[in-house]
Amino acid sequence: MPLSVDERWNLIEKISKQTVEFGARKHTLKDAIAELTVKPLTGIPVAIAVIYGFWAFFVEFAGTLFTDGFMVRLFDEHWLPWLQSVFPGGLGNPFYALMVDAGHLEGGVLVASDNCFEAFGMLTSGLFIVFGVVLWAILAFYLVFAILEDIGYLPRLAVLVDTVLHKIGLHGYAIVPTFLSLGCNVPGVTATRPLETRKQRFMMMTLLAIFVPCGAQIGIMQDLVPELMGWIFLTLAIGYLGFGFILNKIVPGKSPEIIMDVPPYQMPTLKNIMSKLWIRTSGFLLVAVPFVLLGCLIVGLMYLTGAMDWLAAVFGPLLMGWFGVPSETVAPLIAGFLRKDLAVGMLGGLMEQGIMTTFQVFTSVILLCIYFPCLATFALMIKEENWKELLGSLASLIAMVFVYGGLIHLVGIMLGVA
Amino acid sequence: MKILLMGHPNVGKSVFFNRLTGAKVMESNYPGTTVDFMKGWMRLEGEDVELIDVPGAFSLEPKDRAEEVAVEMLEKNRDSVVVCVLDASKVERGLYLALEIIERGYPVVVALNMWDVAEDKNIKIEVEKLERILGVPVVPTTAISGEGFKELVSKIKEAAPVKIEKIIESASGVNVATSAGEGGGESAAVCG
Repeated sequence: MPLSVDERWNLIEKISKQTVEFGARKHTLKDAIAELTVKPLTGIPVAIAVIYGFWAFFVEFAGTLFTDGFMVRLFDEHWLPWLQSVFPGGLGNPFYALMVDAGHLEGGVLVASDNCFEAFGMLTSGLFIVFGVVLWAILAFYLVFAILEDIGYLPRLAVLVDTVLHKIGLHGYAIVPTFLSLGCNVPGVTATRPLETRKQRFMMMTLLAIFVPCGAQIGIMQDLVPELMGWIFLTLAIGYLGFGFILNKIVPGKSPEIIMDVPPYQMPTLKNIMSKLWIRTSGFLLVAVPFVLLGCLIVGLMYLTGAMDWLAAVFGPLLMGWFGVPSETVAPLIAGFLRKDLAVGMLGGLMEQGIMTTFQVFTSVILLCIYFPCLATFALMIKEENWKELLGSLASLIAMVFVYGGLIHLVGIMLGVA
Repeated sequence: MKILLMGHPNVGKSVFFNRLTGAKVMESNYPGTTVDFMKGWMRLEGEDVELIDVPGAFSLEPKDRAEEVAVEMLEKNRDSVVVCVLDASKVERGLYLALEIIERGYPVVVALNMWDVAEDKNIKIEVEKLERILGVPVVPTTAISGEGFKELVSKIKEAAPVKIEKIIESASGVNVATSAGEGGGESAAVCG
């Protein structure tokens, strides 16, 4: 026979009175640290230091040490020239173009590429993006992230940002899906499950899909345009908060308070950190390798068949007129449906060819972030949202791309940089 | 037979799962790490038994999607033994979920996890008495370091359904008995 809620609590009280004894609590060092990290006066500086440290490690470890220090040289100075010399076909051969180097026109003459961003081949650009750049970014991100997770810092961060996020109808807990999404949007979307109402879940998923770039994308952006990263994050953060505020006003439903436990701080164990790093990194490679290579192939084929030129001609006026980016951006935008890292990498190729101004690169990078979540994330959203919500997310997305993309162009015109 | 791992968010169910199955699921120190169920196999007295890591739930009246998954898992696996993982430093609210599961007629083993945290907080739990009142096995554990696991596994087979009326009875009954017992305890303390 089931008890009523009151009966159950009465019974629990009876039981615990007889079996549990609460002794005097000692104020331990752990408690002191715990308090320092949640009280705003000390907590905010700590949070800034933690996030700055996170970023600095990410840039130095992944960018400077591995990618620039080792991988770029390996791929551009050894792998690419070697393939160019031994791969059958040679410049102009379609199969060679798909696999190794499509080359580019310089004064009407097809010339070979001298770096792996430009080459666009599956074995060159494709492998370089995954193993030369993104893998190290993913490793660096998840290493620090796992440590923060296991210490128990994330819920403290949630407490700190709770007030700000409440202004846009979200709860401090939203920091967990958001942070996870900075690694990969897929686990970010599943992490919205503890949110109580459909409204909160819908808002969270939509905001993640539009404004939170994944680790792979951040890694390659950092490699390509390190000087723009501050502006990119600022633009995305403004979009996240601003659009969240609007969504909160127009989406029906409630955003109730969620009570979240703040767990005690713990010493992370090396074993668990390593195990998580392995799960996440191997998961990344399993998805990234086939999708990036497939993306390279599709885009390569579209170039070879002339489909890309046709699309560029059709969408060029819209891209140039509304967003202020050249028609060539159509290729990265196509690739971005599959993988964002590949898309940004292709943008890198266009940059190397001197087709884009810095501001156009900036606009394109933002567009690539917001115009569509990657295929994997979108597939998950189909599973997690009902059709009404899915349409809502798509409508938000399209509206956001045009409004925000146009706005960035407008600001650029006013500043005289577009 | 199947074994379900249930309990509040962030009490260490995933750590249990990894230890018991040798599998690798994500463990983190914040609530909501597991939002979908995970299946694995463990050895129990020479047999392979399926173990399911259920997302954290505060009660069996679901309030979010993760809790819905938890209740679904419980209802779908009627033939399960439930290992109910409690945070030993917050026994009372953990017992709420444990009682709900017992009321539904499932055999339950209670793991008082984070025993080390409870000790840090100077909370003392009389395990044997709790076991007597509930009529189900109760085992203190510290999942991160692996303490108490052998005992926990050995008690899974002992778990049997208990009538809630019996728990009410023994909770009241032992109460009387304990008043005398407590007196004895006090005098012992004086002697000591």
